[in-house]
Amino acid sequence: MEKTFTEKIQICKKNKIAGLYPTTKFQVVILFSISTIVLNSIKLTDFKLALLLIPWFLLVPFMFAITGEFKKCMKAMKAISFIAIFIMVVQTFIVSGGKTLWVWHFIAIREKGLQTGLSLCFLILNIAGIFVWLFQSTSTKEITRCLEDTKMSFKVAYIFASTLEMIKVFSSKSKIILDAQRARGVETEGNLFIRAKAFIPTLVPLILGGIIGSEERVLTLEARGFSMKGNKTHLFNLKKSGYERIILTISIIITILILAGRIYLWIMN
Amino acid sequence: MDYELECKDVTYTYPLAQKPAIKELNLKIEKGKLYGVIGENGSGKTTLCSILRGFAPSFYKGDLTGEILVQGKALASYKDQISRKIGYVFQNPFTQISGIKNTVFEEVAYGLENFGIDVEEIEKKVINIMQLTDIMELAEKSPFELSGGQMQRVALASVIVLEPEILIIDEPTSQLDPQSTESVFKIIKKLKEEKKTIILVEHKVDLLAEYSDEMIVLHDSKIIKQGESREVLSDLSLREYGIRLPEVTLLSEKLREAGLDIDQLPITKNQILDLIEKKRKGE
Amino acid sequence: MIKDENKKFSIKDDFSMLALLIIPVGVAVNFVGGQLASLLKLPMYLDTIGTIFTAMLAGPWLGAVTGLLTNIVTGIANPVNFAFIPVSVVAGLVTGAFARANFFNVWWKWVIAMVAMGVASILTAAPIVVLMFGGVTGSGASLITATVMAAGANIWTAFIGTEGLFNILDRIVSFLICMSVIKVIPARNLIKFSCGKFYIKNKKEEK
Ligand SMILES: Nc1ncnc2c1ncn2[C@@H]1O[C@H](COP(=O)(O)OP(=O)(O)O)[C@@H](O)[C@H]1O
Ligand SMILES: [Mg+2]
Repeated sequence: MEKTFTEKIQICKKNKIAGLYPTTKFQVVILFSISTIVLNSIKLTDFKLALLLIPWFLLVPFMFAITGEFKKCMKAMKAISFIAIFIMVVQTFIVSGGKTLWVWHFIAIREKGLQTGLSLCFLILNIAGIFVWLFQSTSTKEITRCLEDTKMSFKVAYIFASTLEMIKVFSSKSKIILDAQRARGVETEGNLFIRAKAFIPTLVPLILGGIIGSEERVLTLEARGFSMKGNKTHLFNLKKSGYERIILTISIIITILILAGRIYLWIMN
Repeated sequence: MDYELECKDVTYTYPLAQKPAIKELNLKIEKGKLYGVIGENGSGKTTLCSILRGFAPSFYKGDLTGEILVQGKALASYKDQISRKIGYVFQNPFTQISGIKNTVFEEVAYGLENFGIDVEEIEKKVINIMQLTDIMELAEKSPFELSGGQMQRVALASVIVLEPEILIIDEPTSQLDPQSTESVFKIIKKLKEEKKTIILVEHKVDLLAEYSDEMIVLHDSKIIKQGESREVLSDLSLREYGIRLPEVTLLSEKLREAGLDIDQLPITKNQILDLIEKKRKGE
Repeated sequence: MIKDENKKFSIKDDFSMLALLIIPVGVAVNFVGGQLASLLKLPMYLDTIGTIFTAMLAGPWLGAVTGLLTNIVTGIANPVNFAFIPVSVVAGLVTGAFARANFFNVWWKWVIAMVAMGVASILTAAPIVVLMFGGVTGSGASLITATVMAAGANIWTAFIGTEGLFNILDRIVSFLICMSVIKVIPARNLIKFSCGKFYIKNKKEEK
């Protein structure tokens, strides 16, 4: 039998991790971030480096892989890795203080620089990485629906969803306007002043259109019963994948173990 | 008997405005009839629609005096339930989407979701309406990628699906090509057959002559004439207010000038054919 | 309607349906502004225009929410943006507070406001960048900051000195763009926003 329209708009994921309920994923992200920060406070070797963050970071690509979104996630990691490495390099070579570990002409690595460099770099990679996992394996449609399900007002969910759509619409409109300008001979290349002059006529019509359009949008929504009191139904609904309990339990256990380790080290020293 | 909609001496002024946009409005809308609204640009047609739906003053603010009754009860007493009673279709096809739905099917279903209707029920109703409005093949398309004509049909569908008893439709075809205009009027015709009460603002008088039961003529914020369509649209003096009359009316006037004895000017093709038939038999 | 100027503002008034619906517009303007600036290779971010605009029209709370949502939405693609949520929120709050105080009616007040907006943004950004990112974030201005740091400057001075200039310039340009847009918005649309009436009065005075 052919699927109904309602069936067609549902999201079905084969991968049980990708299909986790968004709230569960969010809880995992929080636990992972807490663990990361705790691990960062454990300094190893004579130079007091947060070395544990490095093996811990292996978990991130592992999560990408078991979610079945490895490629997509790694692509999103590009910009973050750039920032993290840039920061590591700058810190390592520029920040002074502590013992000098290595010198070559005027370039030197000092203890303090290496400490902060390593720690910042892997804090960013770990925490940003786990968020990448959350957002690359969860569609915005799921996030919106989840917002509706939590205690948040349906208005919050509407604003969130509408923002994402508005960005798409504005982006494509701005490209159209920019192309139209080029066609009319307005230059978008050349010196700074010329390029700056193309900015305003592209952006301003979008703002004006947005303001005037939102009036009609309000009335349209009212006409469709947006502020009607009482329960709303939803054609699209989130499903649990069934692995929520297990994944959450594992995450909690790991976090507790890490915390316990941290406390043990405190007591020992 | 209660009227579907009734205005008693309504005057409305927008905020910051020097003078009222609607003055001393008295109006009685009967169930199951189609009311055509005409008037020059700025004569107050859209404002009239906003008043009847309560958008003025609830959204536009400003000052309103007089009384508006919906099926005998004050408009304001309906509160959020008014969207069940009165459907509203706007002029601009592109701004009247929810802005959050990815398919036309979901877009049309949006109001029903807000009304809290059961999922199975929604599916049925939406399919029904999509067939009626001829947008079945758009069902899985994105509402953001439709043409003006398609968009306007989706907008109509999204409102009709809520099954309002009264429909206010403000210049639905002013931005559409002739073919899309025709398809919109096809839908309006079906609604009329379903005995909906319809208030339709429209510049195309020939189409109004064809479809409307009654006409309301606005000029400079006031109703200058209202009544049965044939009577209103055959009133040649309306031309002094910059109002265009149906081609048929103008043509028959020429015939009358040429010496043909015509009692009341016809306004539609069928009426003029009837007239010719009668003349042929009579003479 | 414009007469009751002394009426107290309540947060609920700020969040009318219309005001809510300009939040997405504001965020999209931020987004497209930033995109255009880099597409046209302008030496500025110009990614706060929408926040400033909504704050100018609808006050600090709306501005703050616009800023918050901007960084949440861009954070979905690059979570580093989450760290800068306070900067965007403060930008909205400060601009909105000036708008609420009807501070944009005389040109010399504009200057004060623009500088204050720039300073506020740098003061919120500095601790985040210095403490969480060690003073550099990989942006264009970061390279300058890094160079200054390499020359021996203190990390805070380096950051505030270089990014501060960029920030204030950015705020000035963004604000001027918003002001010129508001000038062409019809009075009937402006009146529906909680701070809109201030700009209508300005229009009348000019005549
Ligand atoms: N939102 C508004 N605020 C102030 N004045 C308005 C507004 N909308 C319309 N008007 C004014 O009210 C009058 C009637 O406008 P409108 O009802 O839109 O006319 P029509 O739909 O017949 O073209 C016009 O003078 C118009 O300028
Ligand atoms: Mg109109």
